Amino acid sequence: MSNLSVNQAANWHLPQPYNTRHVLFALIALLILAVSGVRMEVPRMVHDTVQGVGYAVGLADESPVATGVKRIAESIWPLRISEETEISRIENFDRENLPWLSRVEVIETKMQRMNTDTLRLEETIESKEVLIKPLGYLSHVLLKMLETLEMALWGTLLSVLLSIPLAYFAAANYAPNRFAYNLSRSTISLFRAIPELVSALFLVLAFGFGPIAGFLALGIHGAGFLGKFYAEDIENADRGPQEALQSIGAGKVKTLWYGVLPQVMPQYIAYTLYIFDRNVRMATVIGIVGAGGIGLELKGRFDMFNFDHVGTILVIIFLTVFLLDQFSARLRSRIL
Amino acid sequence: MLKFNNVTKRFPDGTEAIRNISLQVPRGQFCVVLGPSGAGKSTLLRMLNGLSSPTEGEVMLDDEQITGKSVSRLRRKVATVHQQFNLTPRMSVALNVLSGALPQVSHWRAGIGLFPAALREKACRLLDEVGLTPEHLPRRVSELSGGQQQRVGIARAFMMDPAVLLADEPVASLDPRISRGILQLLHRQSRNHGTTVLCSLHQPELAREFGDRIVAVSQGRLVFDGTPAQLTDSVCEDLYHGTLNRHHEEPKAAVPVSVPSLEMAIA
Ligand SMILES: Nc1ncnc2c1ncn2[C@@H]1O[C@H](COP(=O)(O)OP(=O)(O)OP(=O)(O)O)[C@@H](O)[C@H]1O
Ligand SMILES: [Mg+2]
Repeated sequence: MSNLSVNQAANWHLPQPYNTRHVLFALIALLILAVSGVRMEVPRMVHDTVQGVGYAVGLADESPVATGVKRIAESIWPLRISEETEISRIENFDRENLPWLSRVEVIETKMQRMNTDTLRLEETIESKEVLIKPLGYLSHVLLKMLETLEMALWGTLLSVLLSIPLAYFAAANYAPNRFAYNLSRSTISLFRAIPELVSALFLVLAFGFGPIAGFLALGIHGAGFLGKFYAEDIENADRGPQEALQSIGAGKVKTLWYGVLPQVMPQYIAYTLYIFDRNVRMATVIGIVGAGGIGLELKGRFDMFNFDHVGTILVIIFLTVFLLDQFSARLRSRIL
Repeated sequence: MLKFNNVTKRFPDGTEAIRNISLQVPRGQFCVVLGPSGAGKSTLLRMLNGLSSPTEGEVMLDDEQITGKSVSRLRRKVATVHQQFNLTPRMSVALNVLSGALPQVSHWRAGIGLFPAALREKACRLLDEVGLTPEHLPRRVSELSGGQQQRVGIARAFMMDPAVLLADEPVASLDPRISRGILQLLHRQSRNHGTTVLCSLHQPELAREFGDRIVAVSQGRLVFDGTPAQLTDSVCEDLYHGTLNRHHEEPKAAVPVSVPSLEMAIA
């Protein structure tokens, strides 16, 4: 008996959780990070950031980063809300019938002009009449934001429509055959692999500037994402209800509709909301390549250094994304 | 009429779940299947609704063999009541019952949930018969108690007027009082609709109370086939100890069943 216990003690062996291999792996990982960090200029990033923070609290005398940030902040503020148009440039201007809330002002600008007779610089005052719409630019941006939201909506709609058949064929337990399964899976991977920005570039060439290219690009990428997740939920759904319907001969499609869909609906809605949320953010970006919406406006203003306009646009984007977050969180908690 | 002719079921991993079983269940009979866990009860029942197919032998329904070809037609005559109810959670009681008639509904109607009036009336009638009330119609099944869920399951099973009802341990997750109520309901419903029932159970006393006939399987073999009266306590004991051997073949034999060695010597 005691012999047995001695033998057993010899068999037991509880090693430390780490060995030389782990240490080696850790060293290699550190080495890779070090090399890559130099390539990514991480040291300069740390130096400049620390310097900027030091400048902000009064420890450093100068900081290029802080100066840059300050310059941008100064040119953004105050935000551009109103819109001014020179009256001489407005066709058929009707002085008696001004647009709502707007007013006419005379603006005087001092100019340095070369007098051709005396060859001296002279100061002249030029005055021009402008039409001021106090909320003109804001409403323009809001309209563009609405267009962006619509692009996101149609992109989401398109991706849901595309992903339903994709998911059906990409779910191993519903695909009719191996070929359809593989075809569907690879289509999904392809759709996910193409970034919206890239497909939007090409779609703009095909469909011209405007929202079509935008929502098509969003729809295709979203379909790849939703197709994958819808399919995985179908595969993981509880088999019981499906067997019950299958065993009475309900057929695959009806079994999916009544045995699976009600189970996975909350997740589906959550994914779709996420895609919509993502589409709103992406739609602002892909507008930059000409696919309509607020992105185009943003890029135009940025290129013209109108940072006060850019500021307004950024604030509107931020507010929209924030409100959308609140909305979808509320919707999600109600459904789940 | 329901027939198993020398049926054997071997799973790909080599498990022989059913070994050479022959069994006939006449129309309208309430036949209870007993047997210890892993005996092959579920496998036996699943060969009737096409969720499993025999490796050898044939399974017949109304003189037609259930094969890969005929299964989609024949399984419409067979309804199943499941141990875990197998209702679709998060779906309403109404839709769960209606889904029992899905094979009769066109794809587009099913797709948008427009069931014909006749089916909707039938669903209401069945829900009334199983003892639920109209207030239950819009409730999600996941909000019901186990007993109520099984009532919904029974209502769903009768939606297509099945010739055969399979009940695989329909009361295994319910308390004794509710269990009796559910079996009473199953018994009454099948009597009223003239349904043949094959019902697996783990409670011999319920089998005696509700079965017209009791069969028992053990390790894939049919080891008992008789009336409720013939299912004595000692037979049950042997069954769950795995020492029962075709006791019913000598119903009048004076051999006490509790002496398995003697039994085996005779066999
Ligand atoms: N898909 C499968 N693959 C391999 N073996 C299986 C499979 N399904 C069941 N078996 C085996 O077949 C035997 C019979 O199983 P079955 O589920 O029919 O038993 P049961 O009598 O219904 O048991 P219980 O009372 O626990 O439900 C068991 O040994 C089980 O492990
Ligand atoms: Mg079982």
